[in-house]
Amino acid sequence: MDKRYIDEILSKYNEPSGKLLGILEDIQEKEKYLSKEALKYVSEKIGVSFSQIYSIATFYSFFNLQPVGEHIISVCMGTACHVRGAVEILKNVEYLLGVGVDESTEDGKFFLTTEDKHFSVNTARCFGCCSMAPVIRIDDKIYGYVKIKDLPKILKEYGWDKK
Amino acid sequence: MSDKVNVYINSKRYQAIKGEPLLNVARRNRVDIPALCYEESLKPYGACRLCLVDVKEGAKKGLTTSCTLACSEGLSVATNTDEIKRHRKVLFELYLSQAPNSEKIKDMAARYGVFSTRFELKHQENDKLNSKCVLCGLCVRTCNEIMGAGVINFIGRGHNTKINTPYFESSDVCLGCRACLEVCPTKAITIEDRSNIRIMASWSYTEVELKKCTVCGKYYAPEKLDAKVGSLFYYRDKDAKLKNMCPECRKKYAAKKHTLIMEGEAEKYAK
Ligand code: SF4
Ligand code: FES
Ligand code: FES
Repeated sequence: MDKRYIDEILSKYNEPSGKLLGILEDIQEKEKYLSKEALKYVSEKIGVSFSQIYSIATFYSFFNLQPVGEHIISVCMGTACHVRGAVEILKNVEYLLGVGVDESTEDGKFFLTTEDKHFSVNTARCFGCCSMAPVIRIDDKIYGYVKIKDLPKILKEYGWDKK
Repeated sequence: MSDKVNVYINSKRYQAIKGEPLLNVARRNRVDIPALCYEESLKPYGACRLCLVDVKEGAKKGLTTSCTLACSEGLSVATNTDEIKRHRKVLFELYLSQAPNSEKIKDMAARYGVFSTRFELKHQENDKLNSKCVLCGLCVRTCNEIMGAGVINFIGRGHNTKINTPYFESSDVCLGCRACLEVCPTKAITIEDRSNIRIMASWSYTEVELKKCTVCGKYYAPEKLDAKVGSLFYYRDKDAKLKNMCPECRKKYAAKKHTLIMEGEAEKYAK
């Protein structure tokens, strides 16, 4: 693994041990996920234990710990969205993409990627636009008032072509 | 530093050091306050909420955790009001559900009159902590703050929070010191010694090599732990022989040596 880009990121922070979240965010922006090697490398470089860094990375649903598909679909499971049918939305997204239901990894993170690595699905807790519930986010775009029957149309924008 | 102040627990007066946690004073004087996440040698953490007291006189009146309550002159608390009992009951019910296999929790709850829980029992399959962990964080803090090893930490959050090594993989920084097991209030952690190997079963089966006593041949301490802290005491005597002896042999050796010194025959042991 080429770690030069991590060195570059670290050099932007003058006191790296206190800027861990920013560093992890930058790495994720570049690689789309946080690899074990990257976390280990950061730990060695800034002198924060590997277990601490892993703890932080698993705490925030924002961080991906597995390689991700080209497009990331986050289904909001916050209170407002939950009440307005987020569970059904999630089930339907999973169904349309043909990914398994209720698989979550041992670290408690929920993450599914289609076989062709085109889409990844995860869940989030409130995007802060509850008035538009239920909400999903695809990459950087927010979709509000989502209805199940709209899902195929939305997914098609991102190259979904099944059925 | 050691300013003395008077504090009152259930209207009885006690001497305290200004700023120390009230829970310390209670423990010193055998006033009963339940607690799971406090350990004198670590910074107060306030996680388990069991050590609730009701502040009657002090900067901020009302319920608060006594492990994070600093003593000041005239501080007065009650430890057993109906309100506290009510909260405690719910807390114990939650702990009974979180750690359904822990006898320690069952005993503790029973002492406070709680024998069952309204909440679903959280039996976890393949849980390395045997469904006994209450997430008090004592093992994590001891491993990080006292041992400086940083082997384990919280993983995930909320209902799914676990304690283990990163990626649930065996650790290359574990010293095998067993401090985590010593501090755990629920006896959740499993560690086994098999001849020259210590197996940290709870921590993803991390294996640590043990060191052999050169005198009696017993395996007595992890190599890595010895390398890290051993020199702190072996060399007080500036006697390299002590370096590879188990505590018992060390004791015998030291006693013998000192007797000979007194008898003026130290050179027999000098070599
Ligand atoms: S394993 Fe024991 S010490 Fe560690 S958090 Fe769980 S209950 Fe506390
Ligand atoms: S709960 Fe979904 S956006 Fe707030
Ligand atoms: S001992 Fe005070 S909150 Fe746990």
